[in-house]
Amino acid sequence: MSEMTMNEVEIETNQLSSKDRAELEKAQPMWKMVLTQFMDHKLAVTGAVIITIFMLIAIFAGTIQSITDIDPDAQNVGNRYLAPLTTAQVGQDVRETEIERFITENPEAADAVQKALVTKEIVAVAEADAIYELGAKETTEAISALQSLSLKEAAGLISLFKSFETFHLFGTDELGRDVFIRLVYGTRVSMGVGVLVAIASALIGLLIGSIAGFYGGLVDTVLMRVTDALLSLPHIPVLIVIAAIDMSKIPWLKAIISTSNESIFKMIIILCLFSWMSVARLVRGSILSIREREFVLAARTLGAKDSTIIVRHMFPNVIAPMLVAITLGVGESILFEAALSFLGLGIMPPTPSWGNMLNNAQELIYQAPFLAILPGLLIFLTTVSFNYLGDGLQDAIDPKAIRR
Amino acid sequence: MTTFITRRILQTLAVIVILSYVCFYLMSLMPGDPVDMMVASNPKITAEDVARLKSLYGLDQPVYKRYASWMGSILQGDLGYSRTYRVPVQELMGPRLWNTFLLSAISLILSIAIAVPLGVLSALKPGSRTDYVVNLFSFGGISIPSFWLAIVLIILFAVKFPLLPAGGTQTIGAENMGFWADLKDRSIYLILPVLSLSIQQIGRFSRYTRSTMLEAMRNDFIRTARAKGLSRSTVIWQHGFRNALIPLITILALSFSGLFSGAILTETVFAYQGVGKLVYDSIIGNDYNVAMISFVISVSMVLLMNLVADILYGFADPRISYQ
Repeated sequence: MSEMTMNEVEIETNQLSSKDRAELEKAQPMWKMVLTQFMDHKLAVTGAVIITIFMLIAIFAGTIQSITDIDPDAQNVGNRYLAPLTTAQVGQDVRETEIERFITENPEAADAVQKALVTKEIVAVAEADAIYELGAKETTEAISALQSLSLKEAAGLISLFKSFETFHLFGTDELGRDVFIRLVYGTRVSMGVGVLVAIASALIGLLIGSIAGFYGGLVDTVLMRVTDALLSLPHIPVLIVIAAIDMSKIPWLKAIISTSNESIFKMIIILCLFSWMSVARLVRGSILSIREREFVLAARTLGAKDSTIIVRHMFPNVIAPMLVAITLGVGESILFEAALSFLGLGIMPPTPSWGNMLNNAQELIYQAPFLAILPGLLIFLTTVSFNYLGDGLQDAIDPKAIRR
Repeated sequence: MTTFITRRILQTLAVIVILSYVCFYLMSLMPGDPVDMMVASNPKITAEDVARLKSLYGLDQPVYKRYASWMGSILQGDLGYSRTYRVPVQELMGPRLWNTFLLSAISLILSIAIAVPLGVLSALKPGSRTDYVVNLFSFGGISIPSFWLAIVLIILFAVKFPLLPAGGTQTIGAENMGFWADLKDRSIYLILPVLSLSIQQIGRFSRYTRSTMLEAMRNDFIRTARAKGLSRSTVIWQHGFRNALIPLITILALSFSGLFSGAILTETVFAYQGVGKLVYDSIIGNDYNVAMISFVISVSMVLLMNLVADILYGFADPRISYQ
């Protein structure tokens, strides 16, 4: 290509149809250029796909629960530490209670089934005990016996017997809860906290950074000293200290916090307090350079207020780098949330999050090593995807990287 | 230069004082206070006794007064007494600090030794297969949760293949078996923690090395050096790398806080007896004296390291002038 002369280029352009030429002459909009550039970064695109999948899982966690029909909080002490891909049977005592309830709720159907069971000699006990006798058998055997009756009254009982058998894609944890559905709900909590923290801290950073950059002088010095001081602190110990406090001892926070959402709410506040600094520095840097540009001078000459200049004229220019910062921030927040929950100071059980699932799993590495693998793998996958997405966005947005 | 150093020292001191006050205040917000702990197991105690005890220990005073008296005794060298370990805090801190120093220093040296060559290698051939692999590795390193990596390492090397201890600092009694046996014993316990702490640092350092090295190799003087016929290695190390080193020092300084954060998690997973674990255990166990001291000391260490790196930065790059 490098040896191509001007003539050849001309010939090539001449071969294009008029429609293509019109396309070429039209200026490409910004987002299109960014998109083309972004699509070149294969790993970033993969990251975006993975993130979309996780987002969908997080949003449709309720639907997934109703499809699989597994309760994330249902405990089954008889079936702890089941390996992945196993089917668990409910314990005898639970079956008997369930059957008893079925009989009292549907006396006619139960009566018909009991009669049929005895007359067809499937069970050799009195009519009143027939269904219980069936319940003591293997679930699959009992279901096929019920189906062989070909009674329409047996339908309710068949579905009841089917519910005695649960399939665990990723096995069960130390309380016999299904790991798969807990991971699904954990996705909702972890992704939710990550995204909310990233957006909220980006807004805080935007506010502080733009005030510091726009007004300069003493305001700038004070704000940036605070930012630098916070940035130089080691995060995890500081977060541990803050996470350990009892927020209801602070009067003005008492009103918003209730016991049910306390740990999630606390988590978001704490992480926000310590993740706005990088955005603030980034915004301040851009605002400082934008401040000297002619269009700001023009706006000021026209009598625009400070707030108008900042919001209308400066913010659009910092959106692109902020988008990158938010993306990278989500990955970081997910890591911090997981670390704190892992230490037992973040999201409190029974609410599942990837981090607190690891907290329990650490003590069980001898009994059930697989419990420790999956949540961490999900954290890793999400963080790596967000990091690649941020990297891809940065390459795509940065005008120096665009090959024109 | 002198004014700059004095100013930075004063700033660091101010941050430490403010931070210790904030931390003191936050500790007062934690559920329960020392007297509550004391009386929790004693049903016979009356409300008057509680009030008397609280005024005896000064717990009925406002936070700033308590902070002042606490600071006063610290300055006189009295760090207080640990509720959980039943020893003065001074005796507790020494070995713990040494353990954490060992862990972080070894992991820092290891990560630099691995990351810098990797970063330089990938910067010399941007877009190549090597660059791609290094890039993949460093992204993985940055994103991997270090505590999870630690658990996976334990599962692999202590549960599945029992080669290394799953946690702890040293075998009981090993310190009496002579210097070399003790050294060997301690290094066996350090392998997994150092590994899990280093992966993240390696990822971060190799990425920064790559970008600063790329930047440095784009300079005009590199072309000049090549043009006048210097050998490839001289150009890369004497001209390129020396210039890439300057921004690397800043990154190194910023990495101390990350290193210490990582050390807390690693020490907790491996039950390694360092300051990080002490901070965590004392906060969880409401051991206030230990919590305050270990937190303030460890954060001050990080801030001091930042300060040292800042000053070194001035020596490394004579072009920078401080006002």
